[in-house]
Amino acid sequence: MKIIQLLVILVLFTACTVKPQPINYGSDVCHYCNMTIVDKQHASQMVTAKGKAFKYDAIECMVHSLQDEFKDTEMAHQLVADFYQPGELINATEASYLVSEQLQSPMGANLSAFKNTENGQKALEEFSGKIYTWKEIQEYLKL
Amino acid sequence: MWSKTITVCATCPVKSINEAILQAEEGDTVFVKKGIYKEANIKINKSIALIGENLPTIDGEKKGEIITIGTDNVTLDGFKIINVGVSYTTDYAAVRVVNSEGFVIKNLELEKLFFGIYLQKSNNGKVLNNKVRGEAVTEFNSGNAIHLWYCKNVEVRGNDVQRVRDGIYLEFSDEISIKDNFSKNNVRYGLHFMFSNNNYVINNVFETNGAGIALMFSKFMEVENNIIKKNWGTAAYGLLLKEVNDANIKNNLFFENTVGITVEGSNRLQYANNDFTSNGYAIKVKGACYENHVIDNNFLYNSFDISYNGRINNNKFNNNYWSNYTGYDLDKNGIGDVAYRPVKLFSYIVNRTPETIILMRSLFIDIIDFSEKVSPVFTPDDLMDENPRMKQIAHDRN
Repeated sequence: MKIIQLLVILVLFTACTVKPQPINYGSDVCHYCNMTIVDKQHASQMVTAKGKAFKYDAIECMVHSLQDEFKDTEMAHQLVADFYQPGELINATEASYLVSEQLQSPMGANLSAFKNTENGQKALEEFSGKIYTWKEIQEYLKL
Repeated sequence: MWSKTITVCATCPVKSINEAILQAEEGDTVFVKKGIYKEANIKINKSIALIGENLPTIDGEKKGEIITIGTDNVTLDGFKIINVGVSYTTDYAAVRVVNSEGFVIKNLELEKLFFGIYLQKSNNGKVLNNKVRGEAVTEFNSGNAIHLWYCKNVEVRGNDVQRVRDGIYLEFSDEISIKDNFSKNNVRYGLHFMFSNNNYVINNVFETNGAGIALMFSKFMEVENNIIKKNWGTAAYGLLLKEVNDANIKNNLFFENTVGITVEGSNRLQYANNDFTSNGYAIKVKGACYENHVIDNNFLYNSFDISYNGRINNNKFNNNYWSNYTGYDLDKNGIGDVAYRPVKLFSYIVNRTPETIILMRSLFIDIIDFSEKVSPVFTPDDLMDENPRMKQIAHDRN
């Protein structure tokens, strides 16, 4: 009986922790544009301070969603996929962003993210384009 | 003309396709006999016809791209092409056409592929009767079967594409006609448009894809006579319309989809003569839609006919047949005397709190839906079909 009570409490508490959710590629849908999320190199996610997760198929969708409907919402996590490690989500605010004609992203902004400026620089040399920080990319994608 | 034919086979003087292309001159034909040719990076930079007899196989051995066409008026006909290389940074394709015109790609069978036929800034060509079999099931590193990027005036007809990411994908491509294709079991979409205008989608079948068709950020589309069925799942739609203007959606059959049509931010669309049969939702309108007309359709046995967010915004519903209509026709003119309100209160509740779907078909829900029907309080007062038909419309669907 004790164990069951403990389990119930445990379940209740785990449900409340504020953390990112795994993305089910091929069945989850982008919160902003309704597209099915399949691209592991460009997916992104935001989690509000209250723990509700929103998933996106592209970084540009997340940025637009942020400007559009979450202007005044406090976010606990802002995550973007690392281009060099598909499926891996990294902190969006620290990532380096590349807009390059060579790298097409799902929603047409040709935008990819990299773990740090070093990787971003490496990609810039490989694919050409222009590097942005998190702040700059929001300005660049302003609706 | 001094054009000649070069024959390639295991016992011929010319044993490899690459060699034959090297020898060929403008206007020649390279004729390949049955056999297996282990070649990749075949580059065609002359206007020749490369024709296979009895479906010879070109095995790329996962070394990257297999055939690249880089000049005008090339014909590629009758090959089986397998083992395209997979890469994260480069979109390798079985056949790629770059900056060319007048190409004809037909009767190919593609297997073990990443991207299938990739048209890049190429105009005035044809992609006919190709068969593509991908292996995308759990792996989402798959490419698209037929991919058009910045193309104009291309005919995509009679292709059969299965188990890839998107069956047919268009990005920045205009005046493309997509006819008589069959697209099934694709991970994402049967057909996918991004930023593409003036396109025709006629007589295709889209079955059990992640979603049937996705039209996004596009204008002036004709979607006619298509069968869109069995797109089931949490993120599944028959047809997804997002930011689409001036489109005609006519004479289509939407059968057993989670949502027949999801539409958002789309204006001046005509939905006419369609059948919406046994879907979860027939049409889900999400907002920012103006001047849309839903006329002369059949809504048959859907769990919800219409779901609506926000105001009616001069969208019109008229002259449809609704299997859920319970009115009467005293003057016997075939039109019900009481207007039909397609939005149920329960669909509002489900929109707000998806979990309440468990109450579906319970007596309580029937009661609140009935009372809402009698005196609407929550559902838009003016969202109704004033002339609901009493009889199903027999659409000509040859």
